[in-house]
Amino acid sequence: MSSTIVATENLTKRYGSRAVVENLNLAIPEGAVYGFLGPNGSGKSTTMKMLLSLIQPTSGNVEIMGQPMTRDTRRSLLGDIGSLIEAPPGYAHLTGAENMRLVQRLLGLDRQQIDSAVATVRLQDQMDKKVRDYSLGMKQRLGIAMALARQPRLLILDEPTNGLDPAGIEEMRNLLRRLAGDGVTVMVSSHLLGEIDKTATMLGILSGGRMIFQGTRAELTAASTPDVVITCSDPQAAAATLGSFNARLTQDHEVAVPGLDDRQTAGVVAALVGEGIGVYGVARDEQSLEDVFMHLTAGGGL
Amino acid sequence: MNTRAIANEFAKMRHLRIGLVTAVMILAVLGLSLYTVVSSPTFSPEAPSAWNGLLAGMSLGIPLIFPLLLAVLASRQTDIEHQGNGWLLQATSGLTPGGVCRAKFTALGLVVAASTIGTSLLVLVTGKLLVGIIPPVSFAHWAGFTGCMLVVNLVVLAGHILVSAKVDNQLVALGIGILGTILAVFSQGLPDVVAHLTPWGYYALAMAADYQGTGFVALPLPYPSAAALAVVAVVLFTIITDRFDHQEA
Repeated sequence: MSSTIVATENLTKRYGSRAVVENLNLAIPEGAVYGFLGPNGSGKSTTMKMLLSLIQPTSGNVEIMGQPMTRDTRRSLLGDIGSLIEAPPGYAHLTGAENMRLVQRLLGLDRQQIDSAVATVRLQDQMDKKVRDYSLGMKQRLGIAMALARQPRLLILDEPTNGLDPAGIEEMRNLLRRLAGDGVTVMVSSHLLGEIDKTATMLGILSGGRMIFQGTRAELTAASTPDVVITCSDPQAAAATLGSFNARLTQDHEVAVPGLDDRQTAGVVAALVGEGIGVYGVARDEQSLEDVFMHLTAGGGL
Repeated sequence: MNTRAIANEFAKMRHLRIGLVTAVMILAVLGLSLYTVVSSPTFSPEAPSAWNGLLAGMSLGIPLIFPLLLAVLASRQTDIEHQGNGWLLQATSGLTPGGVCRAKFTALGLVVAASTIGTSLLVLVTGKLLVGIIPPVSFAHWAGFTGCMLVVNLVVLAGHILVSAKVDNQLVALGIGILGTILAVFSQGLPDVVAHLTPWGYYALAMAADYQGTGFVALPLPYPSAAALAVVAVVLFTIITDRFDHQEA
């Protein structure tokens, strides 16, 4: 079993009486690609900034690589944490190479570390161009190269696919897979499940500042019981009979009943038969991961 | 002191035309100093007070040119952090915003010190070689004036770095630079007490010479006031940058 590289305990951030993040208990296993999901304004960026000690929690603790992250320890811990928060960094009036030299000097890195980071994001042919002439995708890759240059154990990326075209998003996914393959733990946030669910090995879903799910993809799907869909001889009568179960008619003239376990399903079928309604078929509705996410975040204003 | 951060500030100056702005500052003050003596009907290179003419020219030229161009320098060097998300980049590398401001002040301060001392030396050399002033120069008075101007320039620079760091919109910083120029020039007509109230007023207090009656006369330099300004500025800059270090991103 892998160890936990990031752990938070009841992490809370309040501005006045408004809680932006509340009692968050994150657990990111070492070597994972952790997809940190939630609608806009759910507290993802605030959480990531607290992990980096850029903002101070109102209460709760952050532990990274087994050490508490505080103002006193942040400097030494940040040497092993690469991050890309908000917009990608980069001085527009300087070339990509000049920007990387700033990072090299600031962190006391050697040339080989810089070259390796640039090669990882495949930007080596664009380094003599000024950053103001970069596309957004190139700026994102430069920002990731800056984060990777220190050869971090943990990489924190805040919505790195924002503004990228589909090709750029696919390239970002491939990059995350390669980094995970190299043993880097990646925490990546997004408000779109589809952007990261194919790469993430662990998911954490935030809504209204609270963690509403944390686990694997399979656990996420299992966490939301799909509707039972019943095909029968008199759908309207069936829906009325099952009114207490919040049954509803579908467009295909079937009856959908939410939240039933297997025993309740048997009971519902027996009730319909008892009312003289012919039951032709009973099945679980197919739910996409996106449906589960939307259901968990209650629409989330996405 | 974070020497890596300071070296980075020099590296960031590339393509920002810091050298051009500095050259404009020096040449403009030199031009105004020479114009002061050339346009004076009573000026004579043989007169015992001939050097006072150039000092009076510098006492007019520096307040007229430096405040706005110091604002431009600070603004150009600081705005790149807002535009390039540099505050966060450096904070996630362990260098907090207060540290960035201190590095900027050190790097730009060296540039401003070089340009202030360079301007003074250039005017001195020009007075000797081009204007042909014969009497010996009072080096103590000249150096004292240069020192006072250096203090005021560095204080104004520090203030502008803080303003440019705090307010994203650089028009605010440049507006303050223009206001500072007006204050620097018009403080010469204000009582000393009022001139003590703003950093720009000290340009007027530190006038080294002026035209009085029939010629240029040397004026006493306000060393205690300049020293007090330096102390207050160091304390305020330290407190404010320390607060920047603790502000949330």
